[in-house]
Amino acid sequence: MSHGPHAVTRRVLLQGGLAAGLVAVPGLRHVAYAAAPVASPAVPATETLVVVFLRGGADTLSLVAPADDPDYLAARVPELRVRTDGAGAGLRLDQTLAPGIDFRLHPEAAPLADLYNGRRLAVVHASGLSDGTRSHFVAQDLMERGVGDEAGLNRIGTGWAARWLAHPGAEGAVPAVATAPNTPAALAGDAAALAVADLRQGLAPPGGDPTARVLAALHQSGEGAYARAGRAALAGLSAVDSRLPRLPDGKVEPYAPEAGAVYDDGEAGRGLQTVARLVKMEIGLRLAWVDVGGWDTHENQPGRFAKGVRQLSQALAAFHADLNRFETRVTVVVLSEFGRRLRGNKSQGTDHGHGGAMLVLGGGVAGGRMVGRWPGLASHQLDRGVDLAVTTDYRAVLAELVGASVFPGFEGGRLGLLG
Amino acid sequence: MGGLAALPMDAVMRDAAFPALALNRLAFGPRPGDAEALRRDGFERWLDEQLSPHDDHDDDGARAALDACRLRIKYDAGESWAAVEETRPLASLGKPIDALWPLSDGKRPFAGPERQFPRLEVTAATLIRAVHSRWQLRAVMADFWHNHFNVFAGEQAVSASLPAYDRDVIRRHALGNFREFLEAVGQSAAMLVYLNNRSSRAGSANENYARELFELHTLGRDAYLNALYNKWREVPGATAGRPSGYIDQDVYEAARAFTGWTVEDGAGLGGEQRLPATGRFAYVEGWHDQYQKRVLAEEFDPFQAPLADGRRVLDLAADHPATALHLCRKLCVRLLADDPPERLVRAVAAVWTENRRKPDQIARVVRFIALSPEFAEIRAAKVKRPLELVASFARAAAIDLTATNGLIGELDGSGQKLFGCPAPTGHPDRMEAWLGAAAMRRRWSLILGLAENRWGSGALDNAVLFSGPVTAREAVEGWQRALHGAEPEEGTSRAILAGMALDPAARLVPGSRDGDAKLRRIAAYAAMAPRFNER
Repeated sequence: MSHGPHAVTRRVLLQGGLAAGLVAVPGLRHVAYAAAPVASPAVPATETLVVVFLRGGADTLSLVAPADDPDYLAARVPELRVRTDGAGAGLRLDQTLAPGIDFRLHPEAAPLADLYNGRRLAVVHASGLSDGTRSHFVAQDLMERGVGDEAGLNRIGTGWAARWLAHPGAEGAVPAVATAPNTPAALAGDAAALAVADLRQGLAPPGGDPTARVLAALHQSGEGAYARAGRAALAGLSAVDSRLPRLPDGKVEPYAPEAGAVYDDGEAGRGLQTVARLVKMEIGLRLAWVDVGGWDTHENQPGRFAKGVRQLSQALAAFHADLNRFETRVTVVVLSEFGRRLRGNKSQGTDHGHGGAMLVLGGGVAGGRMVGRWPGLASHQLDRGVDLAVTTDYRAVLAELVGASVFPGFEGGRLGLLG
Repeated sequence: MGGLAALPMDAVMRDAAFPALALNRLAFGPRPGDAEALRRDGFERWLDEQLSPHDDHDDDGARAALDACRLRIKYDAGESWAAVEETRPLASLGKPIDALWPLSDGKRPFAGPERQFPRLEVTAATLIRAVHSRWQLRAVMADFWHNHFNVFAGEQAVSASLPAYDRDVIRRHALGNFREFLEAVGQSAAMLVYLNNRSSRAGSANENYARELFELHTLGRDAYLNALYNKWREVPGATAGRPSGYIDQDVYEAARAFTGWTVEDGAGLGGEQRLPATGRFAYVEGWHDQYQKRVLAEEFDPFQAPLADGRRVLDLAADHPATALHLCRKLCVRLLADDPPERLVRAVAAVWTENRRKPDQIARVVRFIALSPEFAEIRAAKVKRPLELVASFARAAAIDLTATNGLIGELDGSGQKLFGCPAPTGHPDRMEAWLGAAAMRRRWSLILGLAENRWGSGALDNAVLFSGPVTAREAVEGWQRALHGAEPEEGTSRAILAGMALDPAARLVPGSRDGDAKLRRIAAYAAMAPRFNER
């Protein structure tokens, strides 16, 4: 348990945020702007967790579908389900979760089927929140803060990812990154978490060295939230920028994925490509957060969902191939705030539901399995008579990856996701 | 209106910082001379004028800037269209929806940039009004309501509907009556498309609009009690007809009430019949679920008159006490502080409720907030969002700003893409959403790009501030006074002079190439100081 003064600062700040029940803003880490040799080679085998959050409530009953379940067949028109035959049939999964049911991946998820069959990918079905909300924004808050119910939102003001990173061992130059303009609520309380959407142009401030010097001086002493954010941004941006490989003319070297990996130009592909580059830069990355939107399919679901699944699957497969050298230290978890209603609506869509499915991918994952308990889809088996029930709390999955102490008050059973 | 006597206006106006403070909240920041004029004429007089814009149209200054704006459109030839590369005026802004609706039809031969052009035009107009409009408070409120009643114009039919939505719904009602506003939103093509009510049908209604109506537009998520109660009777107060909140059963029933509220989008009605394709609101009786319903503990009889079910849901939602609190808290967050005092929120909600039948309900509520003692007391409790940052810099630096594709592109990348937020929450209003590293870097790019006219959006004229040669120190202090509306801070002066390696006594000549370049940099750096970014 070796950690320097930086780490102490992180934890003190975090606890302050916890005690006040407040969301802390980016702040007090890396006070100096100039790139210091902060990358700590002391923790070379650090595991990196990549969270892919499907915003909007993904219809996981169309992603990992109980394709021949009579209740599934009865509740949905053919366009809104995965079929067992014909040209667009789903991809059959070997599983022991519910041996009597023909579970199939969406036909656009062929890259995921390969990862599943190669035992790198596990599916935790009927997972999600135990709280009864069907609100996107309440459900996302719960899952990012890492609490079980809405009362917990008032008790715990930090995100679960921030709590995990507050443990010793996360003292690299840039322990947490979100591939977005801002960091998500899951990182609330982590003053050093860095939001970087794109590395292609580098991350130096505009206007060259004079601007960098002026900005450093303008933000060096203020105690307001804005000045603290300025300091944190300058430090984090510089830590990444100074390590980006450069061409002789000073431009950032174009990124060349390994193993012939090709990233799709969607949100998932762009985000995961940025994460892959950061992993290879050895900057002590422990947690990367990639948001992927477009899953709130109340209307015209078939085409939109197929495109989303295609892009997501290709991106995950490209990431896995690209990071083959790092496979044992990088784990990806894919989740969404809830699954969607079993019954379709008359807009060729599905409304907000409850239970969903989580995907866990990586070299250390005991894959090729569906994990959890399948509750069934008969009316009496559904949550409130309408939605897939939750039999595995989402925190049970995350706890296997980051430790149960990150989730106060939660005691989950072991799923055995990591081999 | 009661409750205002508490504000000691004389003392407030003696506070040198107050005029700039008020103009940063109720306007997009002061232009040169604005703070002095507000002090001279009195805050209440300024406020009352702002709350009663003379008409629905733009003032002459804004009109001229809108007329002068040109946006570039460029695309290659496609299967059924020729290549285009030209600049165009903001011609869609005044067009009725039926003139633009064809852009939403995927079968018609329009290139993607044509379909997205209305979004670009309304974005340009929003920037221009924020900088130039005399009716600043209405522009601020339009921005508030566009986020409250957010739509995502990345969807083609929403983009085609956006000029009408901005003009006839948002800006028209921005200071008006909330219940009337709610119905205008509920019957707008933009919202009917975005939250899918246009395709909702009896039998298995689409719940999207009904759910967000309760959670985001009216009662708010604090009143969503689904995790606590399974049945409508269990909600506290329900059996007495006054439920304290709503649950999914209310969402289901409200969704049924809105079936049949749709858009004339050419959809088939059965047989040979089709709706016309105009983008106008339509009510299709055959799609409406006619049977009895129960919403917020109120019984709806079956077979009501056309539109009556949906209107009754809007009545119930608009009148609910949770709505008053939710909306008034959001208004205080926007105008005052990320964490406004609860006592103020409750007092504002009482004014909201008291005036809920008045045509100028929202104006009265805004007036109450602006004249509250808290409004004068609270300082620097918010961070400017990128739109505010751009507009307030252009105003304070007297840049004659026009909107260009380049400026809009940079703003789009800032995290605040106007009409481009996919989630129905709209862009967040609290500061933590705008302080991430990538967002901070974009702020610096926006400021520097504006100061150096990187996107052709208007040159910064140093002669406005400096009539002749100045020393570097005079320039650094002069720009701080102009931008911060306060005396210069020595730390900021030193940061800029040292960072630029400028001798404080160095002579800078406005109008000379080198002098202008340095003076513009100094302006940009003064605007990067925390003091200019908070409000």
